[in-house]
Amino acid sequence: MRRRGRAACGVVIVGGGLAAQRCAETLRRRGYEAPVRIVCAEAEAPYDRPPLSKDVAAGAADSAAVRFQDAGWYADNGVELLLDRTATGLDATARRLELGDGGSLGYDELVIATGAAPRALPVLAGYENAFPLRTLGDARRLRAELCPGSHLAIVGAGFIGQEVAATARGRGVEVTLIEALELPLAGILGAEVGRWIVNLHRDEGVRVLTGARLESARGNGRVEELRLDGGVTLGCDAVVVGIGVAPAASWVADSGLDPAGIAIDASGRTKVSHVYAAGDVSRPFDPRLGEHVRTEHWDAASRQGVAVATAILGGEPRPVALPSFWSDQYGIRVQYVGHAAGADETWVSGDPDDRDFHVLYRRGGRPVAALTIDRPRKLAALRQLIESDGAGNAAAADRHESPTKEMIR
Amino acid sequence: MTLIATIDEGACSAHGDCVSVAPGAFALEETAVVIGTATDEELIAAAEACPALAITLTDADTGAVAFP
Repeated sequence: MRRRGRAACGVVIVGGGLAAQRCAETLRRRGYEAPVRIVCAEAEAPYDRPPLSKDVAAGAADSAAVRFQDAGWYADNGVELLLDRTATGLDATARRLELGDGGSLGYDELVIATGAAPRALPVLAGYENAFPLRTLGDARRLRAELCPGSHLAIVGAGFIGQEVAATARGRGVEVTLIEALELPLAGILGAEVGRWIVNLHRDEGVRVLTGARLESARGNGRVEELRLDGGVTLGCDAVVVGIGVAPAASWVADSGLDPAGIAIDASGRTKVSHVYAAGDVSRPFDPRLGEHVRTEHWDAASRQGVAVATAILGGEPRPVALPSFWSDQYGIRVQYVGHAAGADETWVSGDPDDRDFHVLYRRGGRPVAALTIDRPRKLAALRQLIESDGAGNAAAADRHESPTKEMIR
Repeated sequence: MTLIATIDEGACSAHGDCVSVAPGAFALEETAVVIGTATDEELIAAAEACPALAITLTDADTGAVAFP
């Protein structure tokens, strides 16, 4: 039985990142009139994360610069911000969200956009100068540690670790980048790109240690020395850990949703009625792969926030896009589109030594992904090449400008 | 209200959503570019569909930002 009063519960969005913000904005722009509430675990109003590892950590931007909207926007648009509040449970039958402060919120539609939380390294637990980079608070801590001449150790040479390395070098900090794999990101982007990444950072003065695992840490309150397997030790003034993230969804475990990534369709719908998910916490269905796949990409969170609002308003979803991401480091823009996993050929075009090239990944002769290094204007053509389906793609790839193409694996 | 679209080429990642939503207003060259006009409704839908938030809409009469 639906009580009349329920209609006033409106939309409750859990999480305060990009997906949450885009969902709230889209609902209001398209005339959704019932209450919209954003429940955010952080004490900060919704903000954009990509600048954290760059301008915010470098001290070139402050919290006001990264907020999606100023405080007035939320008031003017009737979007209630419930900051510093965590969700602890979900009663999907009663349509109530339970909160850590003992309270609960009724909803007509629930949007789970709690994002992901950085994986931690137990050997660094308790040290005040060892932290991940995910939140504005983390970026402020990092900024305080980036003193010229100090020594920063970074565990994990993924894109977060790489961007932090670049920002730290820009501040005159000595950097050691510690990567467990023999070549960073090689499983996704290929060995050649992995080697190029290592060389890029070495050329910028970063000490890059690959195939290196952190074994222990020593210090009194603050880490002073790291020991790697094999007995190598290195002194440091701070440690940033960038070894990946996991969905921040343990609180949904009793609701039947998967805390390891909430499966959603193109509209952001989960298998539970009136419950949607978007962004890093979700596991969207990828029609090209025929399965649900987590991506953790900013572009995806942006799209999914809009998709959920569209679905709540009764609209149809847009076609599912190819995964894509970007990274800015040392003044270079790295961009990627597609699914490189399982590629059997890698074509390089341009001059890697000059930091000006792109890579086309092919599987069975078909272009499936591309990586551009400081070639933003190549992206449109590469994206179209990958999106154009199957037949005739070998010919299309040959037409595609690639003056120095060579098969490198 | 008449809206005018501008594209931040630095933010545009050539997804092409604007072109599929409002083909009279946008085209994909090396980045998305503004090539013509569309109704305000179409322009808003295109700006909303841009995952990179690269489209800004301003009111032609007042200059006020209507999106984002």
